[in-house]
Amino acid sequence: MSNSNEFKEKKRLTNPPQTVDIKIQRRDKLGENAYWETFTIPYRRNLNVISVLMDIRKTPVTKEGKQTTPPVWDMSCLEQVCGICTMVINGRVRQSCSALIDDLLVSDGGNTITLEPMSKFPNVRDLKVDRTRMFEHLKQVNAWIELDGTHDLGPGPTMSQETAQERYAYSRCMTCGCCLEACPQYHDDNYIGPQAIAQARYQNMHPTGKITIDERLEGLTQEDGITNCGNAQNCIQVCPMGIPLTRAIYETNRDITVNALFGWLRK
Amino acid sequence: MSIKLSKTFLLRKLHQITGIVPLGAFFFVHIFTNSKAMSGEKAFNDAVGDIHHIPYLLFVEVFGIFLPLIFHSIYGIFISAEARPNGFDYNYGRNWFYIFQRATGIFLFFFLLFHILNLRFGAIPGLESYGNPVAGNATQAFDIVQAEFRNAGILLFYILGVAATAWHLAYGIWLFAVDWGIVIGEKAQKYALYACIALAAGLFAVGTNAAFAFVRPCGLLPQAFCSELEENKITQPNAPRRF
Repeated sequence: MSNSNEFKEKKRLTNPPQTVDIKIQRRDKLGENAYWETFTIPYRRNLNVISVLMDIRKTPVTKEGKQTTPPVWDMSCLEQVCGICTMVINGRVRQSCSALIDDLLVSDGGNTITLEPMSKFPNVRDLKVDRTRMFEHLKQVNAWIELDGTHDLGPGPTMSQETAQERYAYSRCMTCGCCLEACPQYHDDNYIGPQAIAQARYQNMHPTGKITIDERLEGLTQEDGITNCGNAQNCIQVCPMGIPLTRAIYETNRDITVNALFGWLRK
Repeated sequence: MSIKLSKTFLLRKLHQITGIVPLGAFFFVHIFTNSKAMSGEKAFNDAVGDIHHIPYLLFVEVFGIFLPLIFHSIYGIFISAEARPNGFDYNYGRNWFYIFQRATGIFLFFFLLFHILNLRFGAIPGLESYGNPVAGNATQAFDIVQAEFRNAGILLFYILGVAATAWHLAYGIWLFAVDWGIVIGEKAQKYALYACIALAAGLFAVGTNAAFAFVRPCGLLPQAFCSELEENKITQPNAPRRF
């Protein structure tokens, strides 16, 4: 954290608010209309969005005093590694476990924090979404390496240090959905998205995975394929794991230009 | 090497390539021809006349301009309709460029519709070119455009059109370079973008000066830049002036 941010945080926390309003987009079940409910919780230091939601769950009474159901959300690791607690916080997609209330109050101003489920996935209930389509995308691009049989295949092929490092970056993907949520091209599952393209690139870079590159590229040249990318490059800005998603897209673009678009010239 | 390519994939690639060649290439030629107006009426009218003498002109016009333009603009509108702009929540330069590429595209659809009906077909009632378009009237070409551009509103609309085209083309070249996997790395993309922004500024400057050349000799530049001016002047107009 830079010095100016530290200064701002201190300035804010010398005079913290008594209470914080949490505005949550609720939905009873898939397909029903969404509605908003606001809860007021007492401020204390070092709250994060998950601990705030846990406080609300204990006494689910809205700001107006109306008794309601406890809000539903997903969580697991609580250290920004599993990706399941991803939601839209103050208009921006991120993991709720690593979203600190103190930081949000300083950066966004005001005493209200808005929580919404990701808008690009089916909203199962409240803040919970169904991200099955991301796993369907992985199947579409064959994001794995074929290993035939259980017999001893000997030592694996060697790869350069640069390749290994770039592949390690892609391996950090936790399928959280931030890239798809922030993508202005992605909606109604019309585009396979940066996550699947990066995973295809991850396997294409592997010396054994390279053997089946055509199958992965074929998955990426379908109707919802890589050409739907609009190059807004929001994905790399919001990726919580710092994955070089745009590099994956453009390296794959080159593979497709060489192998798919001009592949027939090799016949 | 037997990758199946979907219809969407091929249409997108065709959309990208038609934007560069022929449409982008045509824009360079167009701005070059317009700039001849800096050297006066005769130079411009001769340039229009030369275009009229291009062999297979109708074929070139239909397959080199009209069909690619119709495809590029109509498919571009379909692409724009897919966008869900979120520039205020995700306030990044490239995200705004993404929105701007679609906004300029939609503006250009209407601008070019007007421009082609106006100066190519002379079909906009109330304007000087009505029934008397530049195309086919090389000897009056300069006068027709001049009479229109004396209306500040029309001149401003054309300058906006040049600005939108310059940006749409220059950023389109960047998009082409990244979408075809030519410019891949972060740094390379940044420098390529600077080059495209410079190209946009250059095209806008040249195009705007060409537009002003119809209302003021040599456009916005000092007349020393257009020293050939005197000898290019028509002393004996070979067609009766309308104005």
